[in-house]
Amino acid sequence: MRSSISFKVTKKGIVLSINPNTRFNDLKKALQDHVESATNFYAGSDMYINISKCSFKIDQLNQIVNIVRGYKDVKSIVFTSKPIKDEVIKIKDNGETVLINRTLRSGQKVKKAGNVVIIGDINPGAEVIAGGDVIVFGKIRGVVHAGAGGSDHAFVAALKLEPTQLRLSNKIARPPEGSFKSKNIKPEKAFIQDGKIMVEDFEI
Amino acid sequence: MAGKSLVITSGKGGVGKTTTVANLGTALAMMDHKVCLIDADIGLRNLDVVMGLENRIVYDIVDVVEENCRLEQALIRDKRHKNLFLLPAAQTRDKTAVKPSQMKKLVKDLKKEMDYVIIDSPAGIEQGFKNAIAGADFALIVTTPEVSAVRDADRIIGLLEAEGLKNPEVIINRINPEMVKRGDMMDIEDIIEILAVKLKGIVPEDSVIIVSSNRGEPVVLKEDPKAGQAFKNIAKRITGQEVTFLTLEDDGFFTKLKKIFSLS
Ligand SMILES: Nc1ncnc2c1ncn2[C@@H]1O[C@H](COP(=O)(O)OP(=O)(O)O)[C@@H](O)[C@H]1O
Ligand SMILES: [Mg+2]
Repeated sequence: MRSSISFKVTKKGIVLSINPNTRFNDLKKALQDHVESATNFYAGSDMYINISKCSFKIDQLNQIVNIVRGYKDVKSIVFTSKPIKDEVIKIKDNGETVLINRTLRSGQKVKKAGNVVIIGDINPGAEVIAGGDVIVFGKIRGVVHAGAGGSDHAFVAALKLEPTQLRLSNKIARPPEGSFKSKNIKPEKAFIQDGKIMVEDFEI
Repeated sequence: MAGKSLVITSGKGGVGKTTTVANLGTALAMMDHKVCLIDADIGLRNLDVVMGLENRIVYDIVDVVEENCRLEQALIRDKRHKNLFLLPAAQTRDKTAVKPSQMKKLVKDLKKEMDYVIIDSPAGIEQGFKNAIAGADFALIVTTPEVSAVRDADRIIGLLEAEGLKNPEVIINRINPEMVKRGDMMDIEDIIEILAVKLKGIVPEDSVIIVSSNRGEPVVLKEDPKAGQAFKNIAKRITGQEVTFLTLEDDGFFTKLKKIFSLS
């Protein structure tokens, strides 16, 4: 059996490839073991996680993200489905997902061509613009624009969706004035349907 | 052993930074620590007024960095506590008169002599702010329970983190227990939830503060006022003591505070 994960060190950083035939539990185990043995070996480097040909459910992606967060002091973690050549690694294509491992505070802005996954909150006054989807394992209170290049298929999902303003493709929505702010976590997903921004509950 | 330096900052103006510096400095001096306050609000100095030391200023911080005088010459000794000093801001210059590297050196020199160096930051996020945080080991953010002040505090925390000042803590000033009870004020829980930093203290709204600022007598000098108590408690927490939070009013308010505190 081929091992479930493999590593390659390139000029740009570490590339971790996931074997698409691996059972999810085996993959988790392999990742966990590797994170533990790595301690801070990868400190300061960029890590690219190649999920080419793999398909994950949102909650599985969340689990993977939670495990790879254990790599100590890695500069950034980028999910990609592009084949990675030794020489050039582009983080520009739409298939790629950038992981941001902190809360975005007022005045901070993230702009990416692909998908953005945030582990933390988007505070009021912070802004995220993504060509693809935006998934937030936290609360959205700032401004988020998904599908910024004009993709009507992009979505925004969060554990709590209370944005100042939400933009999908070329549509803009804001919560109704004086809308009730709940204290509880309530995962929701916003997407475009029949030319309108819709929000529905979302199982994570 | 070298002392610690802390900067008191906020983003938004008028939230109580200078009041906080004057009171924490005085409270730490009352606990027998050797303390120096630096007014980094060049061009808009007022820490000297709040401390009641305005008429003793001869040299200021710009004179020190421009080497018109020695550091010791510019330090003003407090009239009530001989272990408390003030390095005043220049009033006739602006923020560009000092560079972050010069601030760093200044604070480093002062830390050799002092237990605590407390830096009063100007409002804003420009040069003056950069100077104020340059030499600081850690930061205390002052905010009031208003949405705009909290927003600015959040911005400041982001900037501090980017500058390598990790784990700043927050002081919430001008809490009005009546308004909190009526639900007219952002509550502490909401503020801490957004800022996601540790709560260092809560200071009630109290007109005594305005009177004491005008007289140049920090409120911690008095026994009674709750606001003075609050600053004394923060001073104790700075020295590493565990102090439970003040009961500003009765019931609900306090249980809420306990809940938050157990989070951090
Ligand atoms: N807890 C408080 N209760 C009442 N007044 C206060 C309180 N804290 C500050 N003030 C008043 O608010 C004003 C601004 O305070 P100051 O410390 O100068 O703010 P900053 O240095 O942040 O600009 C002053 O008039 C001060 O007396
Ligand atoms: Mg001031």
